[in-house]
Amino acid sequence: MRVSADNTKCVVSDMCVYRVPAVFDQDEDGLVKIIDANPPGELAEDIRRAAKGCPVGAITVYED
Amino acid sequence: MTATTPVDYPFPWTEPIAIPPTWETLRERAIQPISLPSGDPALLVTRYKDVKALYSDHRLSRNTGRYPTSRISPNNAIFDDPEVDSDPPRYLAERSLVTRAFTARRIEGLRPFVKAVAEELMAAMESGPQPVDLMEGFAFPLPIRVICKLLGVPAEDQAKFRAMVDGFLSVTKLPVEEVNRCRVGLWAYLGDLVESKRVAPTDDLTSELVKISDADPDKLSDHQMVHWLQSLLIAGYVTTATQIGCSMAYLLHHREVADEIQADFTLVPGAVEELLRYQIMGASLGSTRYCLEDIELSDGSIVPKGSTVLLAVEANLDAEQFECPMKMDIKRNPNYHLSFGSGIHYCAGAPLARMELQVATEGLLRRFPKLELAVPGADLMREQGSFLGGFAEIPVRW
Repeated sequence: MRVSADNTKCVVSDMCVYRVPAVFDQDEDGLVKIIDANPPGELAEDIRRAAKGCPVGAITVYED
Repeated sequence: MTATTPVDYPFPWTEPIAIPPTWETLRERAIQPISLPSGDPALLVTRYKDVKALYSDHRLSRNTGRYPTSRISPNNAIFDDPEVDSDPPRYLAERSLVTRAFTARRIEGLRPFVKAVAEELMAAMESGPQPVDLMEGFAFPLPIRVICKLLGVPAEDQAKFRAMVDGFLSVTKLPVEEVNRCRVGLWAYLGDLVESKRVAPTDDLTSELVKISDADPDKLSDHQMVHWLQSLLIAGYVTTATQIGCSMAYLLHHREVADEIQADFTLVPGAVEELLRYQIMGASLGSTRYCLEDIELSDGSIVPKGSTVLLAVEANLDAEQFECPMKMDIKRNPNYHLSFGSGIHYCAGAPLARMELQVATEGLLRRFPKLELAVPGADLMREQGSFLGGFAEIPVRW
């Protein structure tokens, strides 16, 4: 699985950071930052949920 | 009730501390015509899928003060300010100046302070006679202390600004003269705050915004700054206080849910989300939008151009999205409720509110293991005629 995030869409809900801190972080302005773009499989479900829970759909998951 | 007969909105609370069963049939039609407290018409979009999509649809404008939008209140424009642009791109540029204060790091940095304030308030509750009104003893002062710290507002001014905020949020509660006195007073109060930070900046969001505005007034004018401060101050405590009250009223009225949390406090964050989903605080008045073009919903029905639209928080009870939606399930996960909205107007203070709700719920249920309502749940009085619902008073003992 690969994951990417569009920080131009981000509205700083913080939810992805709380849900999967190993993958999502924030810059100084709170905008989403990916710290692991190829996360381990055991995080897959949490990452999918983070993507689905993002209020602006800023997170994209590639199931490959 | 036919599709063309408007029903009064907000819906009446017919149950003590529970969602009225009639809300279950609300989604039989995708659009429910409603009559606002002003008597003006609007359309309530009812289904989760549509509500979620429309929150991100730019054909719905948040600039309700710039279009012939139906009025919520007969005598109060509430948040409508034609001078402020609440649509993108302007809105997003301003919003990002504010949301910097709500990153996960900053919120976690504030958590110990919130816990300390909660402990202080609970100690004060313990030192006096019972019952105690949970709203005045805890639910209001906690978020007030927090938002005052964040904005650099002296907490001792709260008597002053609370009365004005109460008037600002009046839908039908107060006469127009009183509403206007409060609106003018609150604006002047926040204008003075800005001036005081300009002269003597401190370590708070207001001072940061003043610095930004002084460096580049095109980025943020004084008017826009005061508008943001007004929204932050009001949203910063009234909503949180009301939700603390609603959550605790629910938990104490349905004591088995509180028991479950007390047996395992790791359930608190999930419980907070579920209590947000199972929304007994208010209504969707904050989601009012003006429709700029015809919009087709998922079932083919049309929201016509020129209509005033409300996106139903009641979509949190949509069985298409939530299994057994009328059931309180504090272990529900995931829980993509819409109580903070969605899209670009997603509640800017949501991370702070979540943290405060977690601290409040856990704090109260830990410190007072036998906390209970001091009156029957059915006797709790609801706030009347205001932008937000919730309970006016919640007497508790332990």
